Amino acid sequence: MLTILDLLGTIGGNVLSLPGILGLALGMMTRRLPLGAALGGGVGIFETLVFAGFQLQAIEPLELIVAVVVGVMAGSVGTLIRQKGATV
Amino acid sequence: MADDNNKRRGLLGLWDWFWAPTAVLSIGFVLLAGFLGGILFWGGFHWTLEMTNTEEFCVSCHSMETNLGEYRETIHYNNHSGVRAICSDCHVPKEWQHKIKAKVMAVKDVYHEAVGTIDTAEKYESHRLHMAEAVWRKMKASDSRECRNCHNFQYMDFTIQETRAAAEHQRALDNNMTCIDCHQGIAHSLPAGHLDAYKALVEEMAAAETGESGPALRQSGIGVDLQPLRDVLSERGN
Repeated sequence: MLTILDLLGTIGGNVLSLPGILGLALGMMTRRLPLGAALGGGVGIFETLVFAGFQLQAIEPLELIVAVVVGVMAGSVGTLIRQKGATV
Repeated sequence: MADDNNKRRGLLGLWDWFWAPTAVLSIGFVLLAGFLGGILFWGGFHWTLEMTNTEEFCVSCHSMETNLGEYRETIHYNNHSGVRAICSDCHVPKEWQHKIKAKVMAVKDVYHEAVGTIDTAEKYESHRLHMAEAVWRKMKASDSRECRNCHNFQYMDFTIQETRAAAEHQRALDNNMTCIDCHQGIAHSLPAGHLDAYKALVEEMAAAETGESGPALRQSGIGVDLQPLRDVLSERGN
């Protein structure tokens, strides 16, 4: 059973890991919000696969969901940063 | 002049300044400065994180005194080889994401230190089983990941182990068991009724596997036949 503390820890781990950081960086590479979000979400899926040793049965759905949500949000923020902070 | 009149002040002015294009810096300068700033920030962050992994930091709280005393009586503290496993070696994962998760969750320890949840021997004993179960659950779910930072079935030479140890390790290997199934209490005293509590915990985790939170436990090997583990726990109980 996942506790609130587990959930917060999982979110924190993802924010400071690939979905949060690489997702933000990839989001900053485009001005198209859906693309930025998709790139971040893709990182979330990739990272969960890596941590599960590329074994689908070892993936925990909630960890995957948290990673994708954090990735999508980071990618979206990255795109907003690009829109706000760059003219190209 | 018109621009000066339209300038916002305070935090909004800072916000405008932050997003204004640089007029005097080259792209190379901004990139290099950002790169160096990133190294400094990340290095400092990582260094600080590692500081919280030291034994001195872990036992700096009053609540940890009992833990420390028990651990100092074990082979993980003093042994013939001179290799020591400190608190973080067993309680903090090495992998980055798992480590950050553990650090976030450790905030609860600071809270309990502040409110004095286990600040007396009586309180400590009344919480011992609960604390042990939390660690067993984590170890079981992660296939004793932190044990495997140093120990691994694949690295063991069963021919130079004691006969009983070799046989038990072979049995564990054959039945997809994990370190914590047998090695509870290797660094801290066991609570009363620990075997029954551990059996109940394993059965609960196995039952949960068929429920919503199931897949989380598959990596622990609970998905396989539980009977050998039940046999081992029963033998230890006799």
